[in-house]
Amino acid sequence: MTRRTMARLLALLSGLIVLAVAVVFAWLQNR
Amino acid sequence: MNPVNSGGAWTAVYLGLVLAPLVVLFVGDPVPPGGFWWDLAIALGFAGLAMMSVQFILTARFKRATAPFGIDVIYYFHRYIAGMAFAIVLAHPAIILTANPDLVFYLNPLEAPWFMTVGVLSIVALTLVIVTSYWRGALGISYESWRVIHTGLAVAAVLLALLHVQGVGFYVAEPWKRGLWTVITLSWIGVIGWIRIVKPWRLLRRPYEVAEVRQERGDAWTLALAPVGHGGFVFQPGQFVWLTLRHSPFAMREHPFSVSSSPELAPGRIELTIKELGDFTRTIGATAAGDRAYVDGPYGAFSIDRHPARGYVFLAGGIGIAPVMSMLRALADRGDARPHVLFHAYRRWDRLTFREALEALGTRLDLRIVYVLEEPPDGWDGERGRITADLLARYLPEDRAEREYFVCGPEPMIDATERALRDNGVPMARVRSELFNLV
Repeated sequence: MTRRTMARLLALLSGLIVLAVAVVFAWLQNR
Repeated sequence: MNPVNSGGAWTAVYLGLVLAPLVVLFVGDPVPPGGFWWDLAIALGFAGLAMMSVQFILTARFKRATAPFGIDVIYYFHRYIAGMAFAIVLAHPAIILTANPDLVFYLNPLEAPWFMTVGVLSIVALTLVIVTSYWRGALGISYESWRVIHTGLAVAAVLLALLHVQGVGFYVAEPWKRGLWTVITLSWIGVIGWIRIVKPWRLLRRPYEVAEVRQERGDAWTLALAPVGHGGFVFQPGQFVWLTLRHSPFAMREHPFSVSSSPELAPGRIELTIKELGDFTRTIGATAAGDRAYVDGPYGAFSIDRHPARGYVFLAGGIGIAPVMSMLRALADRGDARPHVLFHAYRRWDRLTFREALEALGTRLDLRIVYVLEEPPDGWDGERGRITADLLARYLPEDRAEREYFVCGPEPMIDATERALRDNGVPMARVRSELFNLV
């Protein structure tokens, strides 16, 4: 894997993790 | 710590910074639920703001944090994550307005409370940041103007968003949370201060002088820079610097260029080879010996000194030869006896930058040079076209899996060359590339 592919994957992964934590927060608030 | 572990650690730090505001939402006095979509939108708003703020840290050029990756790839990460952050920020009002259409008056500054209007303005500023960055070329914005616009709009977007958070007051009402947000805001202002005041001030105290200007083949110029009143810096061959010429370091007029000289040259002295490609680079030829310069560096992970191997394979396209030249010169100066190969892709033979210097290096090193010309002269019996898998197959050494590969050139050339190397059985973990296009 090249460094650019790695940067793209890390950016995607970071965005998805942030999204997942936001969803968990909203779910915990309203369960 | 090795670079991979240290890279993982810094990625964890990044995620920690971005997720911190979300974690803070969880703790403290419970806030009455507003419904799943409402709370999701709030969380995305905080996360988007955190991602925007951390963008400033990514491009602050903290050497220790960027060293494991190479700063060029941090700028790429900055660009990719900007798209994600923008989507997350846009989702914040989009979800709120979809779930509560009666709140659409928030978009009208005449009816909305001030803190909603600053929120809307923050998104407008952020949209302009994205548009002017992704389509800078199409919009005809010069690099210098873009940098000023980019910084101004980005600072405005974050400041307006912070005002929006404080004005709305959700999840930040408790005194300690207000205090925390104040600390976050001050830290962020501190980073801006570091970038715009402390760094330029440090550069100002370590000036350089243009010692020599040499014209090279192919509309390129080599600037030799000598430190004035200090010892310069130690760099690894293949690294690059940000150069400010004929302006103060506070003027935000710096441009990234590869060092083309060997670190074994006279102490502190560096040479940069610059091709005339844009507004700034076209003025390089007008530079005179004695002109003042400021150099921020060295940066980048593109260096033979970081990757020991039985021999190196360099693949350069156009002015991508500059950092490769630095590495070849360093190898020659160190009396290196390992076998090396250089693939040099260029348009025309008569305009091939460093043609004579490369021939001279060929006599000092065990170096095989393969020129690949797009427009070869009559009678040319060398390679023509572009670097392809078939072409590489003819020249790559038997022990190709144990060599280290350095690819530098325009992005399409890097992509094509990486594919061609992979098709020849070269492990991608051994391929290093340098991305010139940081904007």
